[in-house]
Amino acid sequence: MTRSDSLGQFEQLVLTAILSLRENAYGVTIHSKVEELARPKSVALGAVYVTLDRLEDKGLVASWLSDPTPERGGRSKRCYRLEALGERALQESAVTAKRIWDVIKDTWGDETAKEWGKRWGKETG
Amino acid sequence: MMPSGPARFAEAIVGFFVPPACREEVVGDLHERYRSPLQYVIEALFTVPLVIVSRIRRTADVQIVAMQGCALYMSFLGAAWLGGGAVFREPWSILRLALPGAMVLAGVILDDAYARPGVRLALQLARGPFIGNAIALACQAMLWGGHSAVAIPPPIAFSGCAMSLLFSSGIRLLFPPLREQPLGATAPAFWLKRGAVADENSRGLLTFVKVFAVVLALAALAAWILDGSLRQKAGFTILLVAVVALYTAVNRA
Repeated sequence: MTRSDSLGQFEQLVLTAILSLRENAYGVTIHSKVEELARPKSVALGAVYVTLDRLEDKGLVASWLSDPTPERGGRSKRCYRLEALGERALQESAVTAKRIWDVIKDTWGDETAKEWGKRWGKETG
Repeated sequence: MMPSGPARFAEAIVGFFVPPACREEVVGDLHERYRSPLQYVIEALFTVPLVIVSRIRRTADVQIVAMQGCALYMSFLGAAWLGGGAVFREPWSILRLALPGAMVLAGVILDDAYARPGVRLALQLARGPFIGNAIALACQAMLWGGHSAVAIPPPIAFSGCAMSLLFSSGIRLLFPPLREQPLGATAPAFWLKRGAVADENSRGLLTFVKVFAVVLALAALAAWILDGSLRQKAGFTILLVAVVALYTAVNRA
């Protein structure tokens, strides 16, 4: 990366949502996916817009307007895709998260880690 | 039967408040997420302010805003100084003189945020300062009616507004506002390159301006502590603000 900006947790969630949605990544779908990833926390649509703008300014994502559709009252969607810098930043974040998880497992053992996984799985549905 | 979308007038109101550059997608997304009138209103109330803030962040350049703030404050300080400096003897005069400048600045920032994407004519660049000055004068007129202790005297307000219109429009012509940040993967490298070139060209001048600003700040402080004449105090303060404006201008260029 040309800049050593690290991603915040919410930025990681938004980038992950864009990655998973592929061609269908726009405001509404990104917000739904981020809400799913951030469970049990709720996420404001406005917060997603602010983060998307910031990620675009950093050069991590690119956007373009699609054709208008009737279910949106004849308005266009702003679609997003990951840029090479965004993919790289997301990779770095994922590797760091993996390292944290490994340290937790090493320190408290596999059983505790499994218990955590089960507990968070239940709480987040 | 469930309504298929929000009422037209509700959408028109939301659309009015959303900056034109992102109106299409934001109003479209809110339309797609519509479930009930109440849900639409609540979601719009929580979404639109964040969209406006994000747009301001994208269109406002901190250095230019600082430069404009200094120029606007200097306009009203200068108007008070040229008017004999009597206002400086009144309580909170320095803060009261900042109030109209802050309103003009708010007008300029909002005008940039709500500008339509694309190239703007030079005359359109004066629209923000013009609207800001109109708001500042209207507020002062209201204060003259009820709270004259907070207002600045009318001659100072009018001459300050005239000077601020001149300065602010001049700065906007010299440093046109950002309509869109450079986008795409190459943007950060582009910004870094631009910053590096500016640093090399202006390092010596910036150091000189910084030292000069410190000397002026000390002189202004000394004038206030040693109870210098009003003209001396006002002169130093105006000069200091001018140097800070010059510094931001050089830093920006």
